This record gives sequence, structure tokens and C-alpha cells, in this order.
Amino acid sequence: MIHYICKYTPIELFAGFGQKAAVLDFPKPRYDHSDEVMHGNICGFGKSVLEAVLGGDVKQIVLMNCCDVIRRVYDILSKSGCCDFLYMMDLPHVCNDCQSERFALEMKKFIKEYESFSGIPFNSTLIKSNFAPLKEEPKEPFLVLCGNRTEGTLVKELKEKMPLPVIDCTCVSGRNISIPKQDPFNMSEYAKSLLSQFPCMRMETRKQRRQIFENPYLRGVIYHTVKFCDYYSLDFRETQKCCPWPIMKLETDWTLQSSGQIRTRIEAFCETLEAGKEQKTKMNENGTLFVGIDSGSTSTDAVLIDRNGRILSSVILPTGRGAQKSAKNALESVLHKAGVSFSEIASIVSTGYGRTNTGLNNESITEISCHAKGGHFLYPPVRTIIDIGGQDCKVIRLDAEGAVTGFLMNDKCAAGTGRFLEMVAKALGMSLDELSHAGLSWKEDITITNTCTVFAESEIVSLVAQNCSVNDIVHGLEVSISSRIATQVRSAGGTPPYMLTGGVAQNQGVVKAISEALGAEIFICKEAQICGAFGAALFAAEL
Amino acid sequence: MDLIQWFGNTVMGFCKQDPEKARRFLLTGYRANLLSLITHLPPSAMTKANRYAAIHIMETIIRSLTRPKTCAMVSLFVPCEMLYSIGLAPYSLEAISGYIMGVSCEDACQQKASEAGFSDTMCAYHMTYLGAAELGLMPPPRFIIYSNLACDGNMITFPYLRDKHNVPSFYLDIPYEKSDDSVRYVASQLQVMQDFIEQMVGKHIPEERLHKAVRNSIAAKKDALATASYRKSHFLPTDMTNEMYSAFMSHILLGSDTAAKYFSLLREENQKAPFGKAKRLLWLHTIPYMQPSLRNLINYSKDVSIAACDLTYDSFVSDWDEDDVYRAMASRLVYSGYNGPVDDRIRYALQMANVTGADGAIIFAHWGCKVTLGASKMLKQGLEERGIPAIILDGNGASPAATGDGQIRTRMEAFLEMLEASSDDSLYL
Repeated sequence: MIHYICKYTPIELFAGFGQKAAVLDFPKPRYDHSDEVMHGNICGFGKSVLEAVLGGDVKQIVLMNCCDVIRRVYDILSKSGCCDFLYMMDLPHVCNDCQSERFALEMKKFIKEYESFSGIPFNSTLIKSNFAPLKEEPKEPFLVLCGNRTEGTLVKELKEKMPLPVIDCTCVSGRNISIPKQDPFNMSEYAKSLLSQFPCMRMETRKQRRQIFENPYLRGVIYHTVKFCDYYSLDFRETQKCCPWPIMKLETDWTLQSSGQIRTRIEAFCETLEAGKEQKTKMNENGTLFVGIDSGSTSTDAVLIDRNGRILSSVILPTGRGAQKSAKNALESVLHKAGVSFSEIASIVSTGYGRTNTGLNNESITEISCHAKGGHFLYPPVRTIIDIGGQDCKVIRLDAEGAVTGFLMNDKCAAGTGRFLEMVAKALGMSLDELSHAGLSWKEDITITNTCTVFAESEIVSLVAQNCSVNDIVHGLEVSISSRIATQVRSAGGTPPYMLTGGVAQNQGVVKAISEALGAEIFICKEAQICGAFGAALFAAEL
Repeated sequence: MDLIQWFGNTVMGFCKQDPEKARRFLLTGYRANLLSLITHLPPSAMTKANRYAAIHIMETIIRSLTRPKTCAMVSLFVPCEMLYSIGLAPYSLEAISGYIMGVSCEDACQQKASEAGFSDTMCAYHMTYLGAAELGLMPPPRFIIYSNLACDGNMITFPYLRDKHNVPSFYLDIPYEKSDDSVRYVASQLQVMQDFIEQMVGKHIPEERLHKAVRNSIAAKKDALATASYRKSHFLPTDMTNEMYSAFMSHILLGSDTAAKYFSLLREENQKAPFGKAKRLLWLHTIPYMQPSLRNLINYSKDVSIAACDLTYDSFVSDWDEDDVYRAMASRLVYSGYNGPVDDRIRYALQMANVTGADGAIIFAHWGCKVTLGASKMLKQGLEERGIPAIILDGNGASPAATGDGQIRTRMEAFLEMLEASSDDSLYL
């Protein structure tokens, strides 16, 4: 078994030695071996290659000279001596006759090297039977997964959950090689066929990448990027511009994914796809009222409405230790507050991180769809909702009908979220309310660079030690947060009118700073904090 | 708010309404800087060579902004002898980004690049230029020449700029393998590159001029290596910016009369400098010359200096045949310390440490540079195994504000204390 990492690898040659080829796919929760030998700020996939070899999962591997990280991975593995067979092939950046000839020579060098390692003479007659048949263009509605390589469990999850077939065109997948026609086997022809594939972003000419978006059966795009791999970020933006279909960006660090964020994104994307909508049912046919519950990381909110969307009561309770218990408390409280009984409830929809664990709902819908629903009801002109919750920040784009046309969530980072502001308030010895006003009366413009929850604290302490005014520090933080959020809004393609929802909407300083950073007014309604739960209740009323 | 910050904010403010007005205002600042360099105002400890470099690089930057059609944009490692032979001025985005940083506009530019879709984890020099281009601050170049050396960033940035500005471009493919075959392959591409340049300009590159440019490069190399060897015993206080000038002189300016004269002046100054026992540092990768704490520690210090930077000397590791100009330029690229395996970079670093008598090495892990980040631990180990103490210094050379200044100061001071202690063996006897 020879492992490989790149679709340009001439894996058909492996059969000439009686060897099978396998894509290296060993994501781990952590990359301890890698962290010992390589700097942390490199892509998780590179780390996984190191981990797989240094951890003994892989004994024979052929790398391609893909990128700066893989070149360094090769250096480290060469020195480690952990691999029985380690080879790196020089991959040209362009596909022309000259480069094909050069690539063919590289393949011949590889054959010689493997013969020398294994003692097995290369048998070219075994190669042709190893070519997979050429894949045809899709002839039925499909979704495309493109961008960076995606770890197998995530691909499996996407294929299972998406309502349409998913075609994997990420950088390691989607190999499509025509069988060389010439006999005997012609290496130059084979090299040209390899280099002519759907190009990865590392190639110099990549206009062909746009062709997939012209397929009439395409219905949506899932775009995967890996933190610290810079190639695909720009392509995502270009794809956003040229592709008329719903598009979801997933950024991972190539560790095994278990976070609720990934699940939320996948489910929200399913909800935006027409074909993904399922027929839902009422819980109680005799009921006339509807409840929405937003089970968030910091608070659990519940909203009770009537058939016209009128809010009869609402509560905001701390989530505490269990989503189920908090949701039950919130439900009881909201009913008690309005003086109604459970039997009057027709249906309940839950949303938020704990939406599938409340134990009392008959439907769960992502907070992205719920905020859109609630936001559009409360402020119909809205085109971009910025929801800043306890542990994440979402930018949701809407059309005139209130349908989600795109969204972007921050990655695994609490910068600028409710948790971050709680930490700041604690570090400055203030209440959240005091923090909300402090930055409004600043005098000196202090630049604070860190919005990392961990490092910002030390920067704050250091500024306090320098006798900087607390108001100026708070203002500096607000500017820093708003700059980050404005970038996220622009990255998501957000346009005015803007609306801010979530608990952070109560913070006047942050709201003002975001408004200034975006150069536009931001609509804040009194229901900003319960907008997700309100949207969930509206969904419940539609069941 | 200091004057430079005000100036930078004003440039960015103009950018929003009228990018050309912003560029004109930016040029006012650059011209004022040039004037102060030419008239020796304000007086400083700058040596003749460094002032000469500062003036010429500033002139190139001004030219790229005022007369872009007389310039070509190049990636840092592209050989520029042909461009000088035909009267064009090459400029690199790293140099422009450095000057954008000089007026405190780097963070706004990087944010603009991020909004345009570039990854926040990309090299901050590239991000700065891309953001400035997005803002309309940078005029389109006449054409672009770029290569895959020394980083992936080139393969993202230059095709984007080519398409954005709709200008012709030439790509130079540098193979990973260091061999005669690779040199031949690159030399043949350089001949095609010559055709491209001639077609762009509409005239032939005179053969004698090209030979002269390559002779200039060879002379610069000789003087640069001599400078390094003088630094083993002689000591001339300098500042970090000057070392970055050297890196530009050994890349985009190499082949010009300017670079030949600069390295000649540098050799003379170091030859004449008094003997000194200050700590000598070997610097690997870009120099964060705007980082306040490092400036305080290193600039014109009598106790420590940068004896050599591998980003300057990577150009000078191969032997060049002046009679075969294409092979001379090709071998410079193929055998660069930034090409091929890390072991080669370690070997070259050790050679430079030996030539300059370096007491220790700084591996600057510049944010976004996967080439050096990926190699950093191997470089450290490789140097320490051969008796050169080394430290990995994390930071962002193109954004001082994004670097924890207090942390970088602590690491650097501790490293210098360690070097001091290790040289003063008597303390432990």
C-alpha cells in the first residue's frame, strides 16, 4: 500500500509494482508529534501527514511538491527515517508540452527509485487495467464540494446529510485521467493527462475551475478551506461572485470535527436548499399558540406567540449546565408569564447550539434560519443580519422575501463575541452594563490588536499598568472588534440595511463602533436578544 | 497621534474618495523623505552606503508610483539584469509594502485584502500590497514577471494582480531539484523571458548591456562576501532597515550599477571599521525593522549587530560564469538557499555564521510565511547541533502592531543575555 496526498500523483504507476494506492486520510483530534517538530502555524493537513508517518500509520508515501508546507513535511520526514519509502515528486505549475515532458521524466525517476527500494521490476503491462473509467458530467441535480481536501468523515457526513448527491472536487479528489491511447504505454501522454485535470489552485492556469459552475444541474456549492492554507480563500470569494447557487463555506483545521458549529452550518445549508425542506408536523392539532426556544451557549431564550406573530411573553435564562433542564425551565417560565397552559401550545421549535438536546421540541431549525425568519418579520427591509451570540458571530444575508441567500460564521474563536465581552468586563472589574457605556466617552485613540480572548486579557492588563484610561481601553477594544466584524460582513457579501441581533446588541459602544466600521446605520429592535427564539416560534406557527 | 500616524490616516482617508489623490499625498511624503536623505537631514548615524541604498530604493518606489509604465513588477527572486539592460526599473511588492508600513498604512491595507477574500494567514507583505492595490493606491505595472521562488504566496498574488490589472505576465518555473538539468531548464526559460521583455518594450536587449549587468551582479557578490568576512572582526553599528536594503540590493537591484556601487561602498566601510567585540547575529528570513522593541535593542547598538541575513546572501551561494549569462542567472535561482531542502538552507546559514563569526542566530518566523515557519524548528536544531545558538522569534515583519512587542522584547533580551553569559566563561570558572 502506497499512500498519496495529491490528485496529480501518478497512482496508476503503483500497480506496475503490484501496489495499491490510498489517499492519506488520518485526521486526529490533536497533532502532538507534529507540534514537536514543526511550527504550529501551518495547515492541519500538513500536520496530519507528519502525524500519520511519525505515529506509524503510514509506511510508504509518495508526496508531490504541492506547497511550502508539504516541502517542509518532506524535509522533516526525510530526517526522521520513520518511513520505509518516502518520495517527493516535482510537480510543474503549468500544463504544456515542455512541462509534460519534464513531469514524465519525474515519473521515470520515481519508477527507478521504487525499483531500487523494493527490488520489484516495474511491469508497465499492469498499468492500463488500473485506470478508473472517465467520469461523465452530472446529468441530474447535484452539489459540488470544492476547495481544500476534506477529511473523510466530514465528506461522509456531507454526503449523508445533503439532500442532493455531492460531487467531491476538492484538491485531492475528483481524479479523472484518460487512459493513454498509445501502445506501448507512453509516459508523456500520461503526464499530460494528469496535468490536464480539473486544476487545483496551486497551478498557474486555473480558469478551468469555473467550468463546474456552468453545469446546468448544479444546485449548490460547499466550499471547504483549511486554516493556514492560503490557496483557497480567494477562490472561495471568486466562486461567490460567479456562482448563482447557494454556497456554504466550511473552514476547518483538519482535526476530527466534533463541534456544533460544523453541524449548524451543514444543517443551515440544507435548510437553504429548496430540495432540503422536509414536511414538518404540528405537535398538538388543538393548540393555538407557538413557542420558540433558543438554546444558546450563554442563555436559553423562549418566546410565546400567537398565530399572528404577536409576542405574548418571552424569557431569557442562563443556560447553566444542561440544555435540557434550561429549555424546560424556559418553557415553563414563558408559559407561566403569559398565564397559559401547555395544552394550548400547538408546536414548539428549538434552535441554537442545544437545539437537538432540549428534549421537548418536535422540530429543530438552525439559528441561522431562525434569526433570518425573526429578523425579516421584525424589520422587513433588512438584507444583512449580524448575530453576535455568546460564542460565535454570524453574518446572514437575506433576499427581499427573507430567504437566506448566504451566511458566514466565525471559526473556532470567541473573539468579539459575548464571551469575549464578559472576559473584558471581568478583567476591567466592570459590569456588562458599565462596559456598554464606558467606551462612548473615550479621549485617546488606543490601538488594540488582539481580539483573541486569551491574549486580549494580557494586553488589557498591560494597558492598565501603563495608566491608560479604562474608557479609552474599552473604546480601543470596541474598534478592534468592530473592524473584525466589518471584515466578516464584507467577506460574506453583506449589504445594508443591517440589523444586529443577539445579546451583544445591548452593548451601545460595540453597536456604535460597528456602525462606524460599516459606514451605515444598524437597526436594533427591542427583541434583538430574543430574535432567534422569535424566529423559531414563527417557524412553529408555520407547521 | 504622531505625525506619521496622522499622515497614514490621511492617505487612507483620501483612498475612500479619490485613490489618485491619496497616491499624490503619499508621494508628497515619500518625496519629503527622499529630500531629507539627499540633504542629510535629519542628521543620523546612517553610513554612506546605507544612505546611498535608501536614496535609490526610495527613488525606485517613487518611480513605480509616478511612472509605472517605465517599471516592471517582479517577485523578489526574479533576476532583473535584463530589465536594467533595457532601461526598466523593477520593483517588488515586499519593497512597496515596506514603504506602506513606513507611513503606518499597513493594517488598513491588510484589512482591505482580507475583505477582498485573501486569507488572513497569508504573508502580511503580500496582504499589504494586495490591499493597497484593492484600494486603488497602486497603479497597474507595465507587466509582471514572477516565479514560484520563494513561496506559495507568489502563485496567489501575481496571477490575481495580472487579472485585476489586465496586464501581461511571464511566469518563471523554478524546479525544486538542484541539478545542472534544472539550471538548463531555467536558463531556457530565461531566454523566453528575454523575448517577452523585448516584445513588451518593442526593442532588443543589447547583448553587451546584458553582459555588463551580469558582471555587475558578479562584482556585487564579490563585495558582499568580502563585507561578510570583514564583519567577523570589524564592527560597524548599523540598523535593521539597512539590512533589509541589502536584501533588496541582492535581489531586485542586482545587476544594476546601483547595487554594484552599494556593495562596493559597504565593503569599504566595513573594511575601514574598527575592530569590535559586539555580539554578531545571523538573521534568517525577513527583518522586522519597524518593531519598536527590536529597533531599541539592535539599531546602532554598540553591543549587538546583524552580521548577515540569509535573505541577502541566498543569492550568492552558487558560482556564476559571466560568459554564459543565462546560466549565471539560472544557477542563482536553482541554488538559492530558499529553494530545495531545508538542509541546504542550514548548510548555507552555517557557512555564513562561519564567515561572519556569528555568535547566534535569529530565525524570524514571519506570520504567514510557510517556508520559514515550516522550517523553523529544523533550522534551529541544525544550527544548534553545530554550536550556533538559535532562537525562533515569532512575529509579523509587515505589521508591528500585530506582534506582541513585549513578548518579542523579552525573548530577544533573554537570548542576548544567554549569548553574553555563554561567551563570558570566566563567570562560571
